[in-house]
Amino acid sequence: MDKKEEIKKKFKKNNPKISNNSCGCQIDEFIIENSPNERLCSVKEADFEIFVDPDVEKISNQLYLKKETDWLPIITPTQSRVDKFLKYTDLKKDEVIAILPPKRGKATIEKIAINSVMAGCAPTFMPIIQHTMKALSNEKFNLPAINATTHPVAICTILNGPISHEIGINSNVGCLGPGYTANATIGRAVRLCMINIAGAVPGIGDHATMGSPAKYSFCFGEAEDESPWESLHIEKGCNSDESAVTLIAAEAPQNVNDHRSKKAEDILDTIINTVAVAGCNNSHVPGEILVIMGPEHAKTIATDGWNKDDVKKYINEKTSVPVDLGDRGGRKMDEKLITEGEVKLTRSPKDVIVVVAGGPGRHSMIAHGFGTSSESVTIPLKLKDGTPVSSVEDFKKNNCK
Amino acid sequence: MNIKIVEREILNPLADTDTIKLELNPLPQNRRFIALLDNTKPNADLILNLIQENLEFDKFIRITKPAGDSATSDQIEQTAQADLIILALGDCGSCTTWLILDAIKLEKQGMPTISICSHIFAPFARELAESYGAHSLKIIEIEHPLAGQSKEVIKTKTQKIISQMNEMLD
Repeated sequence: MDKKEEIKKKFKKNNPKISNNSCGCQIDEFIIENSPNERLCSVKEADFEIFVDPDVEKISNQLYLKKETDWLPIITPTQSRVDKFLKYTDLKKDEVIAILPPKRGKATIEKIAINSVMAGCAPTFMPIIQHTMKALSNEKFNLPAINATTHPVAICTILNGPISHEIGINSNVGCLGPGYTANATIGRAVRLCMINIAGAVPGIGDHATMGSPAKYSFCFGEAEDESPWESLHIEKGCNSDESAVTLIAAEAPQNVNDHRSKKAEDILDTIINTVAVAGCNNSHVPGEILVIMGPEHAKTIATDGWNKDDVKKYINEKTSVPVDLGDRGGRKMDEKLITEGEVKLTRSPKDVIVVVAGGPGRHSMIAHGFGTSSESVTIPLKLKDGTPVSSVEDFKKNNCK
Repeated sequence: MNIKIVEREILNPLADTDTIKLELNPLPQNRRFIALLDNTKPNADLILNLIQENLEFDKFIRITKPAGDSATSDQIEQTAQADLIILALGDCGSCTTWLILDAIKLEKQGMPTISICSHIFAPFARELAESYGAHSLKIIEIEHPLAGQSKEVIKTKTQKIISQMNEMLD
Protein backbone atom coordinates (compact mmCIF):
# COMPACT_ATOMS: atom_id res chain seq x y z
CA MET A 1 0.00 0.00 0.00
CA ASP A 2 1.47 3.29 -1.02
CA LYS A 3 1.55 6.22 1.34
CA LYS A 4 -1.42 7.94 -0.33
CA GLU A 5 -3.70 4.96 0.08
CA GLU A 6 -2.53 4.51 3.63
CA ILE A 7 -3.46 8.07 4.58
CA LYS A 8 -6.83 7.75 2.84
CA LYS A 9 -7.67 4.55 4.65
CA LYS A 10 -6.68 5.95 7.99
CA PHE A 11 -8.73 9.12 7.41
CA LYS A 12 -11.84 7.18 6.45
CA LYS A 13 -11.51 4.99 9.48
CA ASN A 14 -11.21 7.94 11.81
CA ASN A 15 -13.78 10.08 10.04
CA PRO A 16 -16.94 8.34 9.08
CA LYS A 17 -19.42 10.53 7.28
CA ILE A 18 -19.24 13.97 8.87
CA SER A 19 -22.84 14.93 8.31
CA ASN A 20 -25.87 13.44 6.66
CA ASN A 21 -26.39 16.83 5.05
CA SER A 22 -22.96 16.93 3.49
CA CYS A 23 -22.55 16.69 -0.23
CA GLY A 24 -20.69 13.41 0.15
CA CYS A 25 -17.30 14.70 -0.77
CA GLN A 26 -14.62 13.75 1.71
CA ILE A 27 -11.84 16.07 2.69
CA ASP A 28 -9.35 13.22 2.37
CA GLU A 29 -10.24 12.86 -1.26
CA PHE A 30 -9.37 16.45 -1.81
CA ILE A 31 -6.20 16.28 0.20
CA ILE A 32 -4.97 13.15 -1.40
CA GLU A 33 -6.37 13.11 -4.88
CA ASN A 34 -6.89 16.68 -6.02
CA SER A 35 -4.36 19.19 -7.05
CA PRO A 36 -4.81 22.69 -5.64
CA ASN A 37 -6.44 23.88 -8.85
CA GLU A 38 -9.17 21.27 -8.87
CA ARG A 39 -12.63 21.45 -7.30
CA LEU A 40 -13.01 20.57 -3.66
CA CYS A 41 -16.64 19.69 -4.12
CA SER A 42 -18.04 18.64 -7.44
CA VAL A 43 -21.65 18.79 -6.25
CA LYS A 44 -21.93 22.37 -4.96
CA GLU A 45 -21.55 25.50 -7.03
CA ALA A 46 -18.64 26.66 -4.94
CA ASP A 47 -16.11 25.08 -2.61
CA PHE A 48 -16.05 28.00 -0.25
CA GLU A 49 -18.48 30.85 0.30
CA ILE A 50 -17.12 34.05 1.72
CA PHE A 51 -19.73 36.50 2.97
CA VAL A 52 -19.01 40.19 2.68
CA ASP A 53 -21.00 43.28 3.59
CA PRO A 54 -22.68 45.03 0.68
CA ASP A 55 -20.95 48.04 -0.75
CA VAL A 56 -22.15 51.05 1.21
CA GLU A 57 -22.03 53.37 -1.76
CA LYS A 58 -24.07 50.97 -3.89
CA ILE A 59 -26.69 50.26 -1.24
CA SER A 60 -26.98 53.89 -0.20
CA ASN A 61 -27.59 54.80 -3.80
CA GLN A 62 -30.14 52.02 -4.30
CA LEU A 63 -32.08 53.10 -1.23
CA TYR A 64 -31.77 56.73 -2.30
CA LEU A 65 -33.33 55.92 -5.66
CA LYS A 66 -36.19 54.13 -3.88
CA LYS A 67 -36.65 57.15 -1.56
CA GLU A 68 -35.88 55.02 1.49
CA THR A 69 -33.23 57.17 3.12
CA ASP A 70 -32.69 60.75 4.18
CA TRP A 71 -30.27 60.89 1.24
CA LEU A 72 -27.15 60.57 3.40
CA PRO A 73 -25.09 57.34 3.31
CA ILE A 74 -26.35 54.59 5.58
CA ILE A 75 -24.99 51.63 7.51
CA THR A 76 -26.19 48.54 5.66
CA PRO A 77 -28.92 46.75 7.64
CA THR A 78 -27.66 43.18 7.44
CA GLN A 79 -29.26 40.43 9.49
CA SER A 80 -26.30 40.21 11.86
CA ARG A 81 -26.37 43.93 12.58
CA VAL A 82 -30.13 43.97 13.08
CA ASP A 83 -29.89 40.95 15.39
CA LYS A 84 -27.62 42.94 17.73
CA PHE A 85 -30.37 45.57 18.07
CA LEU A 86 -33.02 42.93 18.66
CA LYS A 87 -31.13 41.87 21.78
CA TYR A 88 -31.93 45.23 23.38
CA THR A 89 -35.69 44.83 23.52
CA ASP A 90 -38.09 42.82 25.60
CA LEU A 91 -40.55 42.61 22.72
CA LYS A 92 -40.79 40.13 19.87
CA LYS A 93 -39.40 41.31 16.58
CA ASP A 94 -42.77 41.14 14.81
CA GLU A 95 -44.65 42.94 17.58
CA VAL A 96 -46.42 46.03 16.26
CA ILE A 97 -46.00 48.89 18.72
CA ALA A 98 -47.67 51.59 16.64
CA ILE A 99 -49.45 52.22 13.34
CA LEU A 100 -47.90 55.36 11.92
CA PRO A 101 -49.52 57.83 9.52
CA PRO A 102 -49.85 58.80 6.73
CA LYS A 103 -49.24 55.31 5.23
CA ARG A 104 -50.43 53.52 8.36
CA GLY A 105 -47.17 51.60 8.46
CA LYS A 106 -46.78 48.91 11.08
CA ALA A 107 -43.95 49.91 13.40
CA THR A 108 -42.66 46.46 14.29
CA ILE A 109 -39.63 46.06 16.47
CA GLU A 110 -37.72 44.62 13.52
CA LYS A 111 -38.51 47.57 11.21
CA ILE A 112 -37.50 50.01 13.93
CA ALA A 113 -34.24 48.08 14.37
CA ILE A 114 -33.53 48.05 10.62
CA ASN A 115 -33.98 51.80 10.35
CA SER A 116 -31.91 52.37 13.48
CA VAL A 117 -29.04 50.35 12.00
CA MET A 118 -29.26 52.43 8.84
CA ALA A 119 -29.09 55.62 10.91
CA GLY A 120 -25.80 54.51 12.47
CA CYS A 121 -27.16 53.88 15.96
CA ALA A 122 -25.51 51.61 18.51
CA PRO A 123 -27.62 48.59 19.55
CA THR A 124 -27.97 50.08 23.04
CA PHE A 125 -30.03 52.95 21.58
CA MET A 126 -32.80 50.54 20.60
CA PRO A 127 -34.95 51.02 23.76
CA ILE A 128 -34.94 54.78 23.21
CA ILE A 129 -36.12 54.56 19.61
CA GLN A 130 -38.67 51.88 20.46
CA HIS A 131 -40.23 54.09 23.14
CA THR A 132 -40.04 57.11 20.85
CA MET A 133 -42.20 55.34 18.25
CA LYS A 134 -44.70 54.45 20.94
CA ALA A 135 -44.83 58.05 22.17
CA LEU A 136 -45.33 59.40 18.65
CA SER A 137 -48.47 57.35 18.24
CA ASN A 138 -50.13 59.23 21.12
CA GLU A 139 -53.09 61.08 19.56
CA LYS A 140 -52.27 64.35 21.29
CA PHE A 141 -48.97 64.54 19.37
CA ASN A 142 -51.00 64.63 16.12
CA LEU A 143 -48.49 62.76 13.98
CA PRO A 144 -50.84 62.72 10.93
CA ALA A 145 -50.50 66.51 10.72
CA ILE A 146 -46.88 66.71 11.87
CA ASN A 147 -45.70 64.35 9.15
CA ALA A 148 -47.74 65.83 6.31
CA THR A 149 -47.67 69.56 7.03
CA THR A 150 -46.14 72.26 4.83
CA HIS A 151 -44.81 73.81 8.08
CA PRO A 152 -41.12 73.00 8.80
CA VAL A 153 -41.85 71.16 12.02
CA ALA A 154 -39.42 68.47 13.15
CA ILE A 155 -39.65 65.83 15.84
CA CYS A 156 -37.43 66.82 18.74
CA THR A 157 -36.41 63.98 21.06
CA ILE A 158 -35.28 64.95 24.56
CA LEU A 159 -33.77 62.37 26.92
CA ASN A 160 -33.76 62.42 30.69
CA GLY A 161 -32.59 60.10 33.43
CA PRO A 162 -29.78 57.62 34.03
CA ILE A 163 -30.09 55.88 30.66
CA SER A 164 -29.33 59.12 28.85
CA HIS A 165 -25.93 59.10 30.64
CA GLU A 166 -25.44 55.39 30.01
CA ILE A 167 -25.81 55.68 26.24
CA GLY A 168 -23.72 58.86 26.09
CA ILE A 169 -26.31 61.38 24.99
CA ASN A 170 -24.77 64.82 24.99
CA SER A 171 -26.51 67.46 27.07
CA ASN A 172 -23.54 69.76 27.31
CA VAL A 173 -21.38 71.77 24.93
CA GLY A 174 -22.55 71.38 21.34
CA CYS A 175 -25.54 69.21 22.26
CA LEU A 176 -27.56 70.41 19.26
CA GLY A 177 -24.65 70.23 16.85
CA PRO A 178 -22.44 67.60 15.24
CA GLY A 179 -20.00 65.31 17.00
CA TYR A 180 -22.04 63.03 19.25
CA THR A 181 -23.18 59.60 18.15
CA ALA A 182 -26.31 59.25 20.26
CA ASN A 183 -27.59 62.75 19.49
CA ALA A 184 -26.88 62.45 15.78
CA THR A 185 -28.12 58.94 15.19
CA ILE A 186 -31.16 58.67 17.46
CA GLY A 187 -32.62 61.75 15.83
CA ARG A 188 -31.75 60.34 12.43
CA ALA A 189 -33.31 56.97 13.28
CA VAL A 190 -36.55 58.73 14.20
CA ARG A 191 -36.54 60.47 10.82
CA LEU A 192 -35.77 57.25 8.90
CA CYS A 193 -38.62 55.53 10.74
CA MET A 194 -40.90 58.37 9.66
CA ILE A 195 -39.80 57.93 6.04
CA ASN A 196 -39.88 54.15 5.85
CA ILE A 197 -42.50 53.15 8.41
CA ALA A 198 -44.87 56.13 8.44
CA GLY A 199 -44.41 57.03 4.77
CA ALA A 200 -43.35 60.62 5.44
CA VAL A 201 -41.30 60.74 2.27
CA PRO A 202 -40.49 64.34 1.30
CA GLY A 203 -42.84 65.47 -1.47
CA ILE A 204 -45.04 62.36 -1.07
CA GLY A 205 -46.11 61.99 2.56
CA ASP A 206 -44.14 64.91 3.99
CA HIS A 207 -45.17 68.17 2.32
CA ALA A 208 -42.95 70.64 4.18
CA THR A 209 -42.58 73.58 1.82
CA MET A 210 -38.86 73.80 2.47
CA GLY A 211 -38.26 71.16 5.10
CA SER A 212 -35.78 71.88 7.83
CA PRO A 213 -32.25 70.89 8.85
CA ALA A 214 -33.89 69.75 12.10
CA LYS A 215 -35.61 67.01 10.12
CA TYR A 216 -32.27 65.23 9.66
CA SER A 217 -31.80 64.87 13.39
CA PHE A 218 -33.01 66.75 16.47
CA CYS A 219 -32.12 64.95 19.68
CA PHE A 220 -30.37 65.94 22.90
CA GLY A 221 -30.37 65.31 26.61
CA GLU A 222 -31.21 67.62 29.47
CA ALA A 223 -28.21 68.70 31.55
CA GLU A 224 -29.85 67.67 34.81
CA ASP A 225 -26.71 68.20 36.84
CA GLU A 226 -26.39 71.77 35.55
CA SER A 227 -30.02 72.65 36.08
CA PRO A 228 -31.08 74.57 39.18
CA TRP A 229 -34.62 73.29 38.63
CA GLU A 230 -36.62 70.11 38.43
CA SER A 231 -35.88 68.28 35.20
CA LEU A 232 -38.40 67.85 32.41
CA HIS A 233 -39.32 64.21 32.99
CA ILE A 234 -39.97 64.80 36.71
CA GLU A 235 -42.13 67.80 35.84
CA LYS A 236 -44.06 65.45 33.54
CA GLY A 237 -44.70 62.92 36.31
CA CYS A 238 -41.76 60.51 36.14
CA ASN A 239 -39.63 59.54 39.12
CA SER A 240 -36.10 60.89 39.44
CA ASP A 241 -34.56 57.44 39.00
CA GLU A 242 -36.55 56.77 35.85
CA SER A 243 -35.37 57.49 32.34
CA ALA A 244 -37.73 59.05 29.84
CA VAL A 245 -38.11 60.32 26.31
CA THR A 246 -40.02 63.49 25.53
CA LEU A 247 -41.17 64.19 22.00
CA ILE A 248 -42.07 67.70 20.99
CA ALA A 249 -43.04 68.95 17.54
CA ALA A 250 -40.72 71.90 17.04
CA GLU A 251 -39.13 74.07 14.41
CA ALA A 252 -35.34 74.29 14.15
CA PRO A 253 -34.09 76.21 17.20
CA GLN A 254 -33.08 79.88 17.15
CA ASN A 255 -30.38 81.42 19.27
CA VAL A 256 -30.86 83.80 22.18
CA ASN A 257 -27.60 85.68 22.68
CA ASP A 258 -27.56 87.59 25.94
CA HIS A 259 -24.12 88.32 27.38
CA ARG A 260 -25.03 91.40 29.35
CA SER A 261 -28.12 90.77 31.46
CA LYS A 262 -27.54 90.27 35.14
CA LYS A 263 -31.15 89.89 36.23
CA ALA A 264 -33.71 87.19 35.60
CA GLU A 265 -36.22 89.53 33.98
CA ASP A 266 -33.65 90.88 31.57
CA ILE A 267 -32.57 87.45 30.31
CA LEU A 268 -36.19 86.35 30.03
CA ASP A 269 -37.05 89.53 28.12
CA THR A 270 -34.37 88.66 25.56
CA ILE A 271 -35.87 85.18 25.27
CA ILE A 272 -39.39 86.58 24.97
CA ASN A 273 -38.37 88.96 22.21
CA THR A 274 -36.82 86.09 20.29
CA VAL A 275 -40.02 84.04 20.63
CA ALA A 276 -42.48 86.84 19.82
CA VAL A 277 -42.46 86.89 16.04
CA ALA A 278 -45.28 86.99 13.54
CA GLY A 279 -44.57 84.18 11.11
CA CYS A 280 -44.58 81.17 13.42
CA ASN A 281 -47.52 78.83 14.07
CA ASN A 282 -47.70 79.96 17.70
CA SER A 283 -48.65 83.47 16.60
CA HIS A 284 -52.04 82.40 15.20
CA VAL A 285 -52.61 78.99 16.84
CA PRO A 286 -50.90 79.35 20.24
CA GLY A 287 -49.32 76.25 21.70
CA GLU A 288 -46.12 74.88 23.12
CA ILE A 289 -42.71 76.48 22.72
CA LEU A 290 -39.40 74.87 23.63
CA VAL A 291 -36.91 76.93 25.65
CA ILE A 292 -33.48 75.31 25.82
CA MET A 293 -31.93 77.32 28.58
CA GLY A 294 -28.14 77.56 28.65
CA PRO A 295 -26.77 76.62 32.10
CA GLU A 296 -25.26 80.07 32.63
CA HIS A 297 -28.55 81.82 31.90
CA ALA A 298 -30.39 79.32 34.12
CA LYS A 299 -27.96 79.96 36.97
CA THR A 300 -28.38 83.72 36.75
CA ILE A 301 -32.16 83.40 36.74
CA ALA A 302 -32.18 80.90 39.63
CA THR A 303 -29.73 83.01 41.65
CA ASP A 304 -32.27 85.79 41.37
CA GLY A 305 -34.67 83.51 43.21
CA TRP A 306 -36.79 82.42 40.26
CA ASN A 307 -38.02 78.85 40.10
CA LYS A 308 -39.10 77.05 36.95
CA ASP A 309 -42.76 77.93 37.39
CA ASP A 310 -41.86 81.62 37.69
CA VAL A 311 -39.98 81.38 34.41
CA LYS A 312 -42.85 79.64 32.65
CA LYS A 313 -45.42 82.11 33.98
CA TYR A 314 -43.34 85.13 32.98
CA ILE A 315 -42.73 83.88 29.44
CA ASN A 316 -46.38 82.92 28.98
CA GLU A 317 -47.61 86.26 30.26
CA LYS A 318 -45.25 88.49 28.31
CA THR A 319 -44.91 86.75 24.93
CA SER A 320 -47.38 88.19 22.47
CA VAL A 321 -47.61 89.74 19.02
CA PRO A 322 -50.07 92.26 17.56
CA VAL A 323 -53.08 90.36 16.26
CA ASP A 324 -52.91 91.92 12.80
CA LEU A 325 -49.44 90.38 12.41
CA GLY A 326 -50.22 87.14 14.19
CA ASP A 327 -53.42 86.25 12.37
CA ARG A 328 -51.85 85.57 9.02
CA GLY A 329 -51.47 81.80 9.26
CA GLY A 330 -53.34 78.99 7.56
CA ARG A 331 -55.89 78.45 10.31
CA LYS A 332 -58.09 81.36 11.34
CA MET A 333 -57.28 82.64 14.80
CA ASP A 334 -59.84 82.06 17.51
CA GLU A 335 -61.07 85.53 18.48
CA LYS A 336 -61.25 84.51 22.12
CA LEU A 337 -57.44 84.56 22.13
CA ILE A 338 -57.25 88.28 21.42
CA THR A 339 -56.65 90.69 24.31
CA GLU A 340 -56.30 94.38 23.60
CA GLY A 341 -55.13 93.79 20.07
CA GLU A 342 -52.51 91.22 21.09
CA VAL A 343 -52.37 87.43 20.94
CA LYS A 344 -50.17 85.38 23.26
CA LEU A 345 -47.98 82.71 21.69
CA THR A 346 -48.71 80.20 24.44
CA ARG A 347 -52.04 79.28 26.03
CA SER A 348 -50.73 78.83 29.57
CA PRO A 349 -47.44 78.48 31.50
CA LYS A 350 -47.72 74.73 30.83
CA ASP A 351 -47.07 75.43 27.14
CA VAL A 352 -43.60 76.79 27.97
CA ILE A 353 -41.37 73.71 27.90
CA VAL A 354 -38.13 74.58 29.69
CA VAL A 355 -35.07 72.35 29.65
CA VAL A 356 -31.52 73.19 30.65
CA ALA A 357 -28.83 72.09 28.18
CA GLY A 358 -25.64 73.29 26.54
CA GLY A 359 -22.13 74.20 27.61
CA PRO A 360 -20.39 77.33 28.83
CA GLY A 361 -21.53 80.61 27.27
CA ARG A 362 -24.28 83.17 27.53
CA HIS A 363 -26.63 81.54 25.03
CA SER A 364 -30.00 79.85 25.17
CA MET A 365 -32.18 78.63 22.32
CA ILE A 366 -35.89 78.67 21.59
CA ALA A 367 -37.94 76.62 19.15
CA HIS A 368 -41.49 77.42 18.11
CA GLY A 369 -43.92 74.54 18.14
CA PHE A 370 -46.57 73.32 15.70
CA GLY A 371 -49.25 75.27 17.55
CA THR A 372 -52.56 74.41 19.14
CA SER A 373 -52.99 71.01 17.57
CA SER A 374 -49.91 69.19 18.86
CA GLU A 375 -48.76 68.53 22.40
CA SER A 376 -45.52 67.04 23.62
CA VAL A 377 -45.49 63.51 24.98
CA THR A 378 -43.23 62.16 27.75
CA ILE A 379 -43.00 58.45 28.45
CA PRO A 380 -40.71 56.61 30.88
CA LEU A 381 -38.61 53.73 29.64
CA LYS A 382 -40.18 50.56 30.98
CA LEU A 383 -40.39 46.89 30.22
CA LYS A 384 -43.52 45.61 28.54
CA ASP A 385 -45.04 44.61 31.88
CA GLY A 386 -44.50 48.10 33.27
CA THR A 387 -41.38 47.32 35.27
CA PRO A 388 -39.13 50.39 35.46
CA VAL A 389 -35.59 49.98 34.15
CA SER A 390 -32.37 51.48 35.39
CA SER A 391 -30.22 50.44 32.45
CA VAL A 392 -30.57 49.47 28.80
CA GLU A 393 -29.09 46.14 29.93
CA ASP A 394 -32.44 45.46 31.64
CA PHE A 395 -33.99 45.19 28.19
CA LYS A 396 -31.25 42.74 27.19
CA LYS A 397 -31.79 40.65 30.30
CA ASN A 398 -35.49 40.42 29.46
CA ASN A 399 -34.87 39.82 25.78
CA CYS A 400 -37.65 37.94 24.06
CA LYS A 401 -36.16 35.98 21.18
CA MET B 1 -11.28 25.24 -6.34
CA ASN B 2 -14.19 27.67 -6.65
CA ILE B 3 -14.51 30.43 -4.12
CA LYS B 4 -17.79 32.29 -4.17
CA ILE B 5 -18.00 35.75 -2.68
CA VAL B 6 -21.51 36.32 -1.43
CA GLU B 7 -22.79 39.79 -0.64
CA ARG B 8 -24.90 39.69 2.50
CA GLU B 9 -28.52 40.59 1.95
CA ILE B 10 -29.89 43.73 3.48
CA LEU B 11 -33.18 43.76 5.29
CA ASN B 12 -36.06 45.81 3.95
CA PRO B 13 -36.59 49.03 5.92
CA LEU B 14 -40.11 49.60 4.57
CA ALA B 15 -42.97 48.72 6.86
CA ASP B 16 -45.99 46.67 5.90
CA THR B 17 -49.13 48.72 6.02
CA ASP B 18 -52.22 48.08 8.04
CA THR B 19 -54.83 47.41 5.39
CA ILE B 20 -58.47 48.16 5.96
CA LYS B 21 -61.41 48.61 3.61
CA LEU B 22 -64.28 50.96 4.26
CA GLU B 23 -67.69 50.98 2.64
CA LEU B 24 -68.44 54.51 1.52
CA ASN B 25 -71.86 56.07 1.25
CA PRO B 26 -73.58 56.87 -2.07
CA LEU B 27 -74.40 60.50 -2.80
CA PRO B 28 -77.98 61.41 -1.88
CA GLN B 29 -80.83 61.07 -4.38
CA ASN B 30 -82.57 64.11 -2.97
CA ARG B 31 -81.34 67.68 -2.54
CA ARG B 32 -82.65 68.54 0.87
CA PHE B 33 -80.03 69.28 3.51
CA ILE B 34 -76.35 69.94 3.03
CA ALA B 35 -73.71 70.64 5.69
CA LEU B 36 -70.73 72.76 4.71
CA LEU B 37 -67.69 72.07 6.88
CA ASP B 38 -65.22 74.98 6.80
CA ASN B 39 -61.73 74.35 8.19
CA THR B 40 -60.98 78.12 8.22
CA LYS B 41 -58.22 77.96 5.62
CA PRO B 42 -57.98 81.22 3.66
CA ASN B 43 -60.84 81.43 1.13
CA ALA B 44 -62.48 78.20 2.28
CA ASP B 45 -65.39 80.38 3.43
CA LEU B 46 -65.62 82.07 0.04
CA ILE B 47 -65.57 78.76 -1.81
CA LEU B 48 -68.32 77.41 0.41
CA ASN B 49 -70.36 80.63 0.03
CA LEU B 50 -70.24 80.23 -3.73
CA ILE B 51 -71.24 76.58 -3.45
CA GLN B 52 -74.16 77.51 -1.22
CA GLU B 53 -75.29 80.15 -3.72
CA ASN B 54 -75.04 77.88 -6.72
CA LEU B 55 -75.98 74.37 -5.60
CA GLU B 56 -79.71 73.74 -5.42
CA PHE B 57 -80.40 72.38 -1.98
CA ASP B 58 -83.33 73.16 0.33
CA LYS B 59 -81.25 73.82 3.42
CA PHE B 60 -77.64 74.55 4.31
CA ILE B 61 -75.78 74.54 7.58
CA ARG B 62 -72.27 75.98 8.09
CA ILE B 63 -69.90 74.48 10.62
CA THR B 64 -66.28 75.44 11.25
CA LYS B 65 -63.62 72.93 12.24
CA PRO B 66 -59.90 73.40 12.90
CA ALA B 67 -57.45 73.08 10.04
CA GLY B 68 -54.64 70.66 10.85
CA ASP B 69 -56.64 68.92 13.54
CA SER B 70 -59.70 66.75 13.84
CA ALA B 71 -63.20 68.12 14.06
CA THR B 72 -64.55 67.94 17.59
CA SER B 73 -67.32 65.50 18.43
CA ASP B 74 -69.71 68.49 18.72
CA GLN B 75 -68.79 69.65 15.25
CA ILE B 76 -69.30 66.15 13.85
CA GLU B 77 -72.63 65.88 15.67
CA GLN B 78 -73.91 69.07 14.06
CA THR B 79 -73.75 67.38 10.66
CA ALA B 80 -75.87 64.46 11.80
CA GLN B 81 -79.09 65.34 9.96
CA ALA B 82 -77.47 66.37 6.68
CA ASP B 83 -77.90 64.38 3.46
CA LEU B 84 -74.46 65.44 2.25
CA ILE B 85 -71.39 67.07 3.78
CA ILE B 86 -68.99 69.17 1.74
CA LEU B 87 -65.60 69.80 3.35
CA ALA B 88 -63.22 72.62 2.40
CA LEU B 89 -60.33 73.15 2.09
CA GLY B 90 -57.30 70.91 1.59
CA ASP B 91 -54.54 73.10 0.20
CA CYS B 92 -51.63 72.18 2.47
CA GLY B 93 -50.30 69.05 4.14
CA SER B 94 -51.87 69.12 7.60
CA CYS B 95 -55.19 70.67 6.52
CA THR B 96 -55.57 68.10 3.73
CA THR B 97 -54.77 65.36 6.21
CA TRP B 98 -57.49 66.33 8.65
CA LEU B 99 -59.99 67.21 5.94
CA ILE B 100 -59.68 63.66 4.62
CA LEU B 101 -59.56 62.00 8.05
CA ASP B 102 -62.69 63.93 9.08
CA ALA B 103 -64.42 62.97 5.82
CA ILE B 104 -63.58 59.33 6.58
CA LYS B 105 -64.89 59.73 10.12
CA LEU B 106 -68.19 61.06 8.69
CA GLU B 107 -68.38 58.31 6.08
CA LYS B 108 -67.97 55.74 8.85
CA GLN B 109 -71.00 57.28 10.52
CA GLY B 110 -73.04 56.82 7.34
CA MET B 111 -72.70 60.35 5.95
CA PRO B 112 -71.83 60.88 2.27
CA THR B 113 -69.09 63.47 1.76
CA ILE B 114 -67.34 65.48 -0.91
CA SER B 115 -63.92 66.89 -0.01
CA ILE B 116 -62.46 69.88 -1.84
CA CYS B 117 -58.68 69.82 -2.23
CA SER B 118 -56.35 71.86 -4.37
CA HIS B 119 -54.99 70.00 -7.37
CA ILE B 120 -51.50 70.03 -5.84
CA PHE B 121 -52.63 68.26 -2.67
CA ALA B 122 -55.35 66.05 -4.19
CA PRO B 123 -52.93 63.19 -5.05
CA PHE B 124 -51.81 63.09 -1.41
CA ALA B 125 -55.46 63.28 -0.32
CA ARG B 126 -56.26 60.20 -2.40
CA GLU B 127 -53.23 58.27 -1.15
CA LEU B 128 -54.12 59.11 2.43
CA ALA B 129 -57.74 58.06 1.89
CA GLU B 130 -56.53 54.77 0.42
CA SER B 131 -54.23 54.19 3.40
CA TYR B 132 -57.28 54.48 5.61
CA GLY B 133 -59.32 52.13 3.41
CA ALA B 134 -61.43 54.80 1.71
CA HIS B 135 -60.35 53.96 -1.83
CA SER B 136 -63.00 55.94 -3.69
CA LEU B 137 -63.53 58.80 -1.29
CA LYS B 138 -65.08 61.63 -3.29
CA ILE B 139 -62.48 64.37 -3.74
CA ILE B 140 -62.94 67.35 -6.04
CA GLU B 141 -59.86 69.21 -7.23
CA ILE B 142 -59.75 72.98 -7.29
CA GLU B 143 -56.89 74.81 -8.94
CA HIS B 144 -54.00 75.64 -6.59
CA PRO B 145 -53.18 78.17 -5.12
CA LEU B 146 -56.18 79.39 -3.13
CA ALA B 147 -54.51 81.28 -0.29
CA GLY B 148 -53.56 84.88 -0.96
CA GLN B 149 -55.83 85.08 -4.05
CA SER B 150 -58.42 87.72 -4.96
CA LYS B 151 -62.16 87.08 -4.75
CA GLU B 152 -62.41 87.11 -8.53
CA VAL B 153 -59.77 84.40 -8.86
CA ILE B 154 -61.48 82.26 -6.22
CA LYS B 155 -64.84 82.74 -7.95
CA THR B 156 -63.46 81.61 -11.29
CA LYS B 157 -61.81 78.55 -9.75
CA THR B 158 -64.88 77.65 -7.72
CA GLN B 159 -67.29 77.91 -10.66
CA LYS B 160 -65.38 75.10 -12.35
CA ILE B 161 -65.90 72.74 -9.43
CA ILE B 162 -69.56 73.66 -8.94
CA SER B 163 -70.40 72.26 -12.36
CA GLN B 164 -68.49 69.08 -11.42
CA MET B 165 -70.46 68.82 -8.20
CA ASN B 166 -73.76 69.18 -10.03
CA GLU B 167 -72.72 66.39 -12.40
CA MET B 168 -71.81 64.16 -9.46
CA LEU B 169 -75.12 64.88 -7.74
CA ASP B 170 -77.17 64.32 -10.90
